[in-house]
Amino acid sequence: MNFIAPGAFALGLLLPVIVAFYLLKLRRVERQVSSLYLWRRMVQDVEANAPWQRLRPNLLMILQLLFLAALILALTRPFTWSQGVTGDAAILILDSSASMAATDTTPNRLEAAKARARQLIIDLADTTRLTIIEAGRQAAVRLASSRDRRQARLAIDSIQPGTSGSDMGVALELASAIAARQPGSEIIVLSDGKVELPERLALKGRLRFLPVGTSSENQAVSLLNLETRPDGSLAAFVQTSNYGDSPARRRLSLYADGNLVNAFDLEIPAQGDQPLVVEDLPLGTRQVEVRLEPPDALALDDRALAVAPVSHLVRVTLVSNGNLFLETALKLLPGIELLQVAPEDATKDTLADLTIYDAVAAPEDLPSGNLLFIAPPRTSTLFTTSGVVQNPVLRAVDPGDPLLEHVSLAGVSVLDAARIPLPEWALPVVMGDLAGESTPLMLRGEVDGVRVVVLAFDLHHSDLALQPAFPLLWVNLVDWLVPGLGGPLPAQVAPGSSVSFDLSPSGGSQPAGEEVATVRRPDGSSVQVQPENGQVVFTDTNELGIYQVSWGKDQGAEFAVNLFSRQESDIRPADSLGGASSAPASNATTAAGQRGMREFWHPLALLALGLLVGEWLVYQRAGLARGRDWIAGRLGGLFQPTHH
Amino acid sequence: MSERLFSEDFLRRLERLALIARRAVRGQTQGERRSPRHGQSVEFADFRPYVAGDDIRRIDWNAYARLERFFIKLFVEEEDLTVHCLIDTSPSMNWGQPGKLWYAIRAVGALGYISLSRLDRISVTAVGSDGHFPPARGKQQALPLFSFLQGLESQVSSAGNGSYPRDIVPGYSTRDVARALQAYAASASRPGPLVLLSDLMDDGWLEGLRMLGGRGFEVTVLHILAPDEVDPQIEGDFKLLDRESDATVEVTADYQLLARYRQTLTAWQEEIRRFCIARRMNYAPVLTMLPLEDLLFAWLPRKGVLR
Repeated sequence: MNFIAPGAFALGLLLPVIVAFYLLKLRRVERQVSSLYLWRRMVQDVEANAPWQRLRPNLLMILQLLFLAALILALTRPFTWSQGVTGDAAILILDSSASMAATDTTPNRLEAAKARARQLIIDLADTTRLTIIEAGRQAAVRLASSRDRRQARLAIDSIQPGTSGSDMGVALELASAIAARQPGSEIIVLSDGKVELPERLALKGRLRFLPVGTSSENQAVSLLNLETRPDGSLAAFVQTSNYGDSPARRRLSLYADGNLVNAFDLEIPAQGDQPLVVEDLPLGTRQVEVRLEPPDALALDDRALAVAPVSHLVRVTLVSNGNLFLETALKLLPGIELLQVAPEDATKDTLADLTIYDAVAAPEDLPSGNLLFIAPPRTSTLFTTSGVVQNPVLRAVDPGDPLLEHVSLAGVSVLDAARIPLPEWALPVVMGDLAGESTPLMLRGEVDGVRVVVLAFDLHHSDLALQPAFPLLWVNLVDWLVPGLGGPLPAQVAPGSSVSFDLSPSGGSQPAGEEVATVRRPDGSSVQVQPENGQVVFTDTNELGIYQVSWGKDQGAEFAVNLFSRQESDIRPADSLGGASSAPASNATTAAGQRGMREFWHPLALLALGLLVGEWLVYQRAGLARGRDWIAGRLGGLFQPTHH
Repeated sequence: MSERLFSEDFLRRLERLALIARRAVRGQTQGERRSPRHGQSVEFADFRPYVAGDDIRRIDWNAYARLERFFIKLFVEEEDLTVHCLIDTSPSMNWGQPGKLWYAIRAVGALGYISLSRLDRISVTAVGSDGHFPPARGKQQALPLFSFLQGLESQVSSAGNGSYPRDIVPGYSTRDVARALQAYAASASRPGPLVLLSDLMDDGWLEGLRMLGGRGFEVTVLHILAPDEVDPQIEGDFKLLDRESDATVEVTADYQLLARYRQTLTAWQEEIRRFCIARRMNYAPVLTMLPLEDLLFAWLPRKGVLR
């Protein structure tokens, strides 16, 4: 215990003054009585019965001395060093990411952090303004610069564990912005440290990190993939990971449509993965669930779900005079029904999802599906050609273009290509640079809901087909042109991320504008989502499990939301913000044991007040006893029977 | 001087009262009271057969004429009796407004007047000082009695109510009180009704009463207390000084202590009452607030002391 104002101890000199007053006051008033006969009788009686009676006259003095002592002690402003908040304003950041649901601290890390936060609030000075920020999937301010402690407690109570990562970077930036407006702010982060921080983070105010969590022992299903084999059977690829420091034995149970199919006893090495391929799942299986049993510290990642890929074939019509590269590439892609026709046989095939015109002139009347033009010989309805360019140098306009994913154009040579001025609807993907002139070599765009890609050069006039980029380019092309290839939905979605899908993925029928999609969540509740331009965006994917989407008459699809996150499953508590992986917050002090002064003169002052009241009661005890007897007499009279 | 004690009217009213003697006692001269001796008065009592030696003048010849046997006719002999009054004149009696002693003196005066007007003897003795009024008879003794009582009063209260002259009146110890009563019991030739007026604030009183009862006195105890003795009006820290001695007691008077005081007082009075009942004595606690008229015309008749 330390004192801010030890000088107040000098007031202790008043204590002997009280005693002196009592010594002076104790000279009793002399009073003559007729006889001491009765008094002596009584006093003997009293002294024989209660030896402490002798002390009773001093009770008042003792109480007064205690009162003064408590008051002096309060005036010295004693304090202890504590972990409490000392600034004028406090900003609490509570991590509500999935890893905070770990039960290595009871009941779980988030509850422990909330309890810690409540304690911090209790310890706050009355004048301290408090801001509470929840760092969940998105950072959100739960309480803005308030002195209302009840509101603060409500805000803390309202924070629930999430299923995704935490946006600690934004939360810290928010806190920093608030701290900039409130001088003397202290930012307190309650987290297990499994957070992603931006590379550069300049923080205003002092930052303190209060780590939560004790154990790092956790195993997780880190991957679950379902694959249809060429023979039509279904296989599951499961990967389990051990994030703890010691090898773990876990049982992995695999359920197909809710029925236990297989169970494996796995030995997962410390800090390692254990892959597992399960072949020959029952035919017609639609959902596969794997569970690690028994549950460990983090239950969220012990379970994973996957939806069997819906296998429906995409019709592709290739109008060509024969192109070995193209045919081979298309045949290698799964789920494609290739129809190869000569240019003279080409009819308007309304069923085709994709029609490819390889170095042949497109008809005036184009088919309804999506279109790919390769080395168009002449102007068509969608674009014009104006001559030929020789030996252009390829340059990707945007390396992040979906068509160029994983595709490297370096070292690709093109002999000649059609010069195609960029149409209004189109977006250049690859440009050909040639002596101060630049002409698009590959462009993509949408015309009236039809996706169109134009490749300006013939594959035979280029070494592209010999490059490793070629099959990748084709995968990208078909993926973009026929988006429903792997089903309308991605099979796996991270929690909290948005899912978008076309209501008419096959491209065969025009989307009906009034159609409404219904999403059924894992907990059984349903949401109706209004599509825009035939596309539905669904963002409420915080819950883990299978989401069922249905629309139209009987069309439907499913997707699974799983916590496949090393960030969250690795529950090792961090000593500092940002964990071991990411760069530590630049100029923030993250000392966990930083001390603050906690004063406690309040209880002392209260004690003094209590002693004062007690002293008054003792002083007035005669009157109080008289009053008590009077009331008892009144009550007694009230309850006495009046008859008889 | 008698005006100071009682008014004429009051004395006339007193003449209607009489002391009740429960037992017939032997007196000296003929009075108005029944005597244990059968004598020659007018009130017939009984017959008894004649035995040799009886006075033949007292044979009832009419009875002999009817029954041919000798019978002696017995008459109730009426005699006087001596009423003994003992007044406690210890310093503690000189207390209160009106003073307990003054109250006791007036009561004795009234009782004495009643006795004198009934042709009884009255004897007054002050316990605690040397005053003694020897047995006297007849209404003409009323004035000497009153002047004796007033002398007693002035002797005690001459020094004022506040400080009692301890050197004039020697403090009576417990042994002195008991011894004084014992001496009185031994010296009284004719035990009769005895009225003790005292605050009994000494253990010697009960001891002395035991001896008086043993001697055959018909004792009535008028326990006289002042109001502030029954309910002391003090609060705070006090050093209480005894009027009778140099002793002091320090008390912190609060509600509880005063409640305990009242409790002690009640227990004490109860103790005395039991003591008196066990010895067939009359016990009457009297507060000086009680008007003398009420005491004489209502309180004592109810107690069976007067009628």
